[in-house]
This record gives sequence, structure tokens and C-alpha cells, in this order.
Amino acid sequence: MNWLTLSRNEWRRRPLRTGVTVAGVAIAVAALFSLLAFHDGYQDGVRSEINRLGAHVLVVPKGCPYDAASMALHGANWPCYLSTNHFEEVRGIPGVAQAAPAFMAAPTASNSTQTVYVGIDERMLALRPGWKVDGTFPRASGEILAGAEAARSHGWIVGQRVALPALPGETGVVSGILQPTHGSDDAFLYTRLSDAQRWFQKPGQLTHVLVKLKDANLTESTLIAMRGCDAGMDMNIVPLAHLFRTIQTVVNSTQLLLGCVALIGLLVAGAGVSNAMLMSVSERSREIGIMRAIGASRGDVFRLIWLETIQVCAAGAVTGVLLAFVSSHAVESWLRSRLPFAPSDALVRWEWWVAAACIGGAMLLGSLAALLPASRAAELSPMEAIREGART
Amino acid sequence: MSEREPVLSAAGLTKSYQRGRETVRALDAVSFEILRGEFVAITGPSGAGKTTLLNLIGCMDSPTSGTLRIGRREVHNLRERERTMLRREEIGFVFQHFGLMPTLSVAENVALPSLFARRNGSERIDELLERVGLAHRRTHRPHELSGGEMQRVAIARALVNQPQLLLADEPTGNLDSATGDSIIALFQQLNRDGLTIVVVTHNATMAAAAGRRIALADGRIVTAGAQQS
Repeated sequence: MNWLTLSRNEWRRRPLRTGVTVAGVAIAVAALFSLLAFHDGYQDGVRSEINRLGAHVLVVPKGCPYDAASMALHGANWPCYLSTNHFEEVRGIPGVAQAAPAFMAAPTASNSTQTVYVGIDERMLALRPGWKVDGTFPRASGEILAGAEAARSHGWIVGQRVALPALPGETGVVSGILQPTHGSDDAFLYTRLSDAQRWFQKPGQLTHVLVKLKDANLTESTLIAMRGCDAGMDMNIVPLAHLFRTIQTVVNSTQLLLGCVALIGLLVAGAGVSNAMLMSVSERSREIGIMRAIGASRGDVFRLIWLETIQVCAAGAVTGVLLAFVSSHAVESWLRSRLPFAPSDALVRWEWWVAAACIGGAMLLGSLAALLPASRAAELSPMEAIREGART
Repeated sequence: MSEREPVLSAAGLTKSYQRGRETVRALDAVSFEILRGEFVAITGPSGAGKTTLLNLIGCMDSPTSGTLRIGRREVHNLRERERTMLRREEIGFVFQHFGLMPTLSVAENVALPSLFARRNGSERIDELLERVGLAHRRTHRPHELSGGEMQRVAIARALVNQPQLLLADEPTGNLDSATGDSIIALFQQLNRDGLTIVVVTHNATMAAAAGRRIALADGRIVTAGAQQS
């Protein structure tokens, strides 16, 4: 027998109370851990998603820039359009290194599955240097470049003539398959800009323009020039760095609020642990006194109660981390259904150091929660214990 | 230390406490000596001061006045930490209600004082359980034992740190007479093996089994008995 087994034995005495106390800590730690995992995952996901666009500025039709950014990143049907003239004006602005026009549409097939078509031209390749294509980029009418996931789900191979999903009567040839990018590109079907405009009956129209600047440090002056051009009143000029910061600020504010709630939950759990241990000390005062009589010092009794509290908190923290891990898919689905902008990457990212920090934090909280009951126990007089024994 | 040297000596030991405005003298200038190897019963009616005396001898309380020695060491004015060390190293306690830890097994209960003393007493635990006849019960919990068995476990626990003095407060008070007799026999055996034992008891058989009797009444010694030769 050692100190750890001695303190662990006490758990058996009141299994229900121990279970409830552990559950309180577990729920608080699970909430805190999920929040921290979400913070890391979301921040990295949004940054990666915007980086994958390969542009500094997104030019979209008038409307909510965040909706437009979300549509450009994830694929959707657009409610309004830019004209090819807008693109030409943007391209001609000093400070613009590359501009790539895009037409995006997301028709739904009879089986309710949605397919995202993006019409582009070779200028997009300059913005996506990371793309690796098996086959060739679409050059002839009717050719398509399939994202890795789209090709896999349809069972397509390079050179195959295929019926285009959600476009009845239209066929195309798979000229290339994009190697996995781990972003939304994997699910898109890229085609020539003119083909997309024809299929969706929007000739000469665009949904967005991606712009790469010559010098990212001169964003402000280039933005002023873009907004001041003739077409400036018809376009929303969305600098992606600003977009990232704004999204992150909004999400950070919500996270801060939720973090405060989680911390309060942890403090309440700590108070619950302290209260449970005070009750335990009160019920066991005679036994603690007898321990003092047979040789336990005040420090020994303090250590015993402290260890019991720490063990309860450690068990709660480990359970909480496991609970958060097990429920991560459900948490991610729930977050995706509620967030105005969710990157395609995993929203909840697990880091071992975050798990260790949560468990360490819970044990620190346990140490604080143990102070009062452990001090009370250590102050018990052995003589009082014997008197108590004689009375009962 | 020679065999006839006092293991315990009290001189003018007094303990007073306040009950409202009244000062109660639980012990009044009690003086006695107990020699190494003696088996002493402290008797007297309820309220005579027996348990108060046992608490003082066991270093669980300090006297209001007077001196108390265990061996050659004055213990009446020790600090709490020193009293704890003394209880741990020199004194074994047996309680009327056994005082076993319900969540621990028999062997773990016996081992508890050695844990507090930072000793590895595993061999000693086996030896003590053999000695009190409970080797077959080492993994049982207290609620699985009879009263007599629980008191035997408590005695084994009191002996694990090899104390020079065993103190027992009404050790048969919670047992039927047959079981009580077996505990008395165990105390006699331990005393024959050289252990000094002080028992507070109302049990006439226990008092008779002890080699010497110190009778208390109203906080004073009325009969000190002859020291055992």
C-alpha cells in the first residue's frame, strides 16, 4: 500500500458522489478542451482556405462581401454577376500583377446532389502554383478538369467522355484530374470559362475575379485605385487579409465569451470538488482522528486529502478530454451548421499539448480546491476523534 | 535501559478544562510509575478520569500541570509534531470501536502506521497477522469480520511499528464475553512476550488479568496497586 492507493480507496466509499464530482470536472474540461481545439482548428482552417485561393483580393458583385467570399471558397450559385468589362478594368489597374476571371455555378441533380462548376482560363494557373494536374488543363471546348474527390466519387479517369452531373444532355471529356489539395478545389469541376457561361446561359458574365497584387504591402493604394475606377461602384473589392482578420475577430469575440463560460464552469466544478471533499472530511473526521492517533502527522492527513482531490480532478480531466475526443464529430457538425463561415478543413484540431494543459489545469484547480478540506482535516484533533468514537 | 526502569512515569499530573464558567479537574495531581513489561489496568467509574489519563499518556493531549515521562524523555510539554512522532514510534493504540478504515483490507489496515512512519512493513504484517490468528483474513475488509476479529486487526495494527507501550481504551467494551476473553488472552500473551500494556477497562476479567490495577475516582488515584516484580 502507498499514498496513492490509500487515497484511491476512498473513492469506493461514495461511488455516486465521486461519479457526480468527476462528471462535473469532466464536462467543464470537455467544454474547455473543445473550445481550445476549435480555436486552433478554425484559425488554421480559415488561413489555409484563403491561402489556397492564391489571391490577395477577391472582386465580387455588390452585396455582402462575407457571403461572396464564402461562396467563392466553398462553391455555390451566385445571385448576381460582374461583366467581362469589370474584369478588364480590374486587370488594367496599376499594382495588379495577375487577375483571373471565374464563373461559378452549383446546379442540383435530380438526386439532390449538388455539383460545383467553375469556369476559368489559364490565368488561374498563375494563382494556383501548387496545383498538380494529371493530364492537361482544359483547352478545347467541352473539356473538364476534375477535382480529386469529384473524380474519385464519379469513377472518372483522364480521357474519359462523361455525362456532366446535374447538366442533362451535356457531355464532356476529362482532360485532367487535379491531385488532392485538401481544400474545396477537390470537389469542384473546372472547365473553360466560355463553356461554363454557355452551359448556364450567362454569356460574358462572371461571378468573381481573383486578383494577385504586385506588392502585398501596397494593398491599400491598389484598393483605392480599384474602388475609384469606372466599375468601382458595381463591385465589392474584398481584401482577403482583411476578410481573414474580420472573420477571426468575430469568431474570437464569440470564443472569448464561450471561454469565459467554460472557465466559470471549471471554477464551479472546482467548488463542487471542494464541497464534496469537505463533506467527505466531515463524515470521516473520526477516522482521520484515528489516523492522527496512530501516527499520521498533520502533513500526512493534508497530503491524503490533497491526493484524493487531485485524483478526482485528474480522473475528471482525462474523462473530459476523452469525452471531447469522442464527441468531436458531433461538435464539428454542430459548429458547421451554425457558423456563418466554416473552412473545409477540420474545424476541431487536437493537440496533445492542449490536452496536457487541460489536464494540468484541472489538477491545478484540484490543488486549490483541496486547500480548504485538506486544511480542515489536518486540524482535526486525535483526542476529539477518540471521544467521538466513545460516543457513537 | 534495564528491565525495571520505568517506561512511564507521571508526577502531579493534572488536567483541568472549562465547562461554561466552571473549571473541571478531570485529573488531580496523579502520580504513578509503570515499569517496562508491566500489564496495568486503569479502572474506575465513569467520569473518574480514565480516558483523560489515557489521552495524556498517549500524547494526544497536554496536562495542565505536572510532568510525564515516557522512557527518559519528558513528554508533557512537547510540540504537536514531536507528540505525533512519539505516537508513531513509541505508542500503539487500541480503541473500543476498533477504529479500522472500512475501505482498506485487513493487511492494509495493519500496514497503515508503517506508511505514516515511512517503513516497509510487509514481512512484519504477515508475522503480526499470524500472531493474532488472522493470516487467512488478510484480504478481507472490516465489514466482513466479526467484532473479535476486528479487535485483533486493531491490535496487530497497534504493534506494527514495534511500540514500547500499548494503550487500549475499553478493548473488550464492544465484544461479547467469550470474544472479550480471547482478546484478554491475547493481551496476556503479548505481555508475556515483553510488551508493556496499559488498559482502561470496566471489565473485571480484564482488570484481574492485568498484573496491576490503578483505580481512579474523581480524578485521583485511589488504588495504585503494587508494581509487578
